[in-house]
Amino acid sequence: MPLLRRPPKLGPDRDEGFAIGATDLGVRYDLRFTRKTTIRSSIGQMLGRGRAEHFWALRHLGLQVRRGESLAVIGPNGAGKSTLLQVLAGIIRPSEGAVEVVGHVSGLLTLGAGFDKELTGRDNILLGGAFLGLDDAVTRELLPSIIDYAELGEFIDAPLRTYSSGMRARLGFAIATSVDPDILLLDEVLATGDANFREKSKARVIEIVSAAKAVVLVTHDMNWVTEYCNRAILIERGELIMEGEPADVVDLHRTHTEEARQRTVEEAEKAGLDPRIVRVR
Amino acid sequence: MSASSEVPAAFRNAAGNPGPIALVREGIADILSRRRLVRYLVQADVHKRGADTVLGNIWWVLDPLLQMLVYVVFVTIIRVTTQPDYPLFVFSAILPWKWFSASVTDATTSIVSQDQLIKQIQFPKIVLPVAAATAGIVSFAFGTVALGLLMLAFSDRITPWLLFIPLIAVVQFVFTLAVSFLVAAGNVFFRDLGNVVGHLLRLWWFLSPGLYSLASLDQLKIFRDNPALKTIANANPFAILFESYRTVIYGTAGAPPSGPPNMQLLAILLVASLVFLAFTTMVFKRLEPNFAKVI
Repeated sequence: MPLLRRPPKLGPDRDEGFAIGATDLGVRYDLRFTRKTTIRSSIGQMLGRGRAEHFWALRHLGLQVRRGESLAVIGPNGAGKSTLLQVLAGIIRPSEGAVEVVGHVSGLLTLGAGFDKELTGRDNILLGGAFLGLDDAVTRELLPSIIDYAELGEFIDAPLRTYSSGMRARLGFAIATSVDPDILLLDEVLATGDANFREKSKARVIEIVSAAKAVVLVTHDMNWVTEYCNRAILIERGELIMEGEPADVVDLHRTHTEEARQRTVEEAEKAGLDPRIVRVR
Repeated sequence: MSASSEVPAAFRNAAGNPGPIALVREGIADILSRRRLVRYLVQADVHKRGADTVLGNIWWVLDPLLQMLVYVVFVTIIRVTTQPDYPLFVFSAILPWKWFSASVTDATTSIVSQDQLIKQIQFPKIVLPVAAATAGIVSFAFGTVALGLLMLAFSDRITPWLLFIPLIAVVQFVFTLAVSFLVAAGNVFFRDLGNVVGHLLRLWWFLSPGLYSLASLDQLKIFRDNPALKTIANANPFAILFESYRTVIYGTAGAPPSGPPNMQLLAILLVASLVFLAFTTMVFKRLEPNFAKVI
């Protein structure tokens, strides 16, 4: 991956406030490899049974985020929202187009994974800091505040496997947000933990946004979108459908969701299924 | 955090791939900038293995000795060797082989076992097989303690030439690292590679002069008839490594070590391993952008 040591030269649209820019972004998945492939199955394919299949998780997507902005990414399941975050985090390299990011990026995209189940919470923080590329001295300095923020108490010196899922989520969130990133990427993290921690994590995200840092977040919580984000995009089937004021984008998303639900119900009726069952699902 | 971070403050990712030399250079930069992550991963690995057993570290010393015992019993029963001091003879090969096979086995799963993390955080994936190969050094170090104990029983074979062990180990490490990169990346795309690697390793061990000496192959009719086979057997990296370790630990059948290992062969192996390492680093870095998608 071509990682630049110095920030790229600022162009006409890359002034001081520039944080994220994506042009004609496309991510292609090769279906031959996305299922757990084996040598045996691949030899079968080479003998001519399979052909090169692929799938565009994202296509022709353009995007700009400036400092101080909080961008919500909404859309139905499987629309490519998480893939977009992975591209912005530098985890996936685009198959088409380019993405440019100025500033340190942090984001546990889905929390609760932890780093190493056998290690203690304290060791996990140090290991997490090393994975995130933090300096050791900085990590040790942050240690007390992370432990305090995650509300782990005595458990900090117990192995991670003894933690509840809520504790793991809190620890993950605390590590991800402790680094004070320029750009924070969050995927469905606001729904983790109990009500108390939800409030706390909201407060922390608002704090980061107000500190002129950019946030890109994927969520199904539409109240959060209209209340705290100043811009939103709607993605469906890998394509950018709408970009604009959160309230307008949420409205369109609701309309589309309702239409999709109607279609499912109609199809179910056509197939002779009881629509009530479908509705419940 | 800009001044204290090991990650760049900006990046640009576009479709397309950098050239082979750029890939190798990136790989080296990845490892050097993330030395501390490698150290933590190695520590975590050592901690887990040591803490899980009652005997703890003692187990690490006993393990190669017990394996040696198995081969000594086996070879004594089927009476295939006339080597004097056979326990030491075979231990000089078990010691490096355990390191290699454990490192390669761990490296195979090093990437896929971190699937959750790879999907969530951008970090150079190359540190994972590096950590797996490096953690093997620790077990090798404990193995040398076992060697020390064993040498007390064969004290007439103790010579200053033992000091050459670390030098041979460096050559072996370079070769191990190169193989580790290949199997770690390969297992992401072919999940049954682990099975294949296990069997290949076992075959490789028996085809290498561990239980027997390289010279003893000359007695086989098939080797007398096919000089090409002899060339292949001599070119096996583990033929060179085992013979080198054996030269400084055991010596020759009749006598304790009286000289250094074949430095010329070791130098050739080192250069070849470095070229191989550059190649596998390139392959790894070329495949790395696809890991998060496939895993």
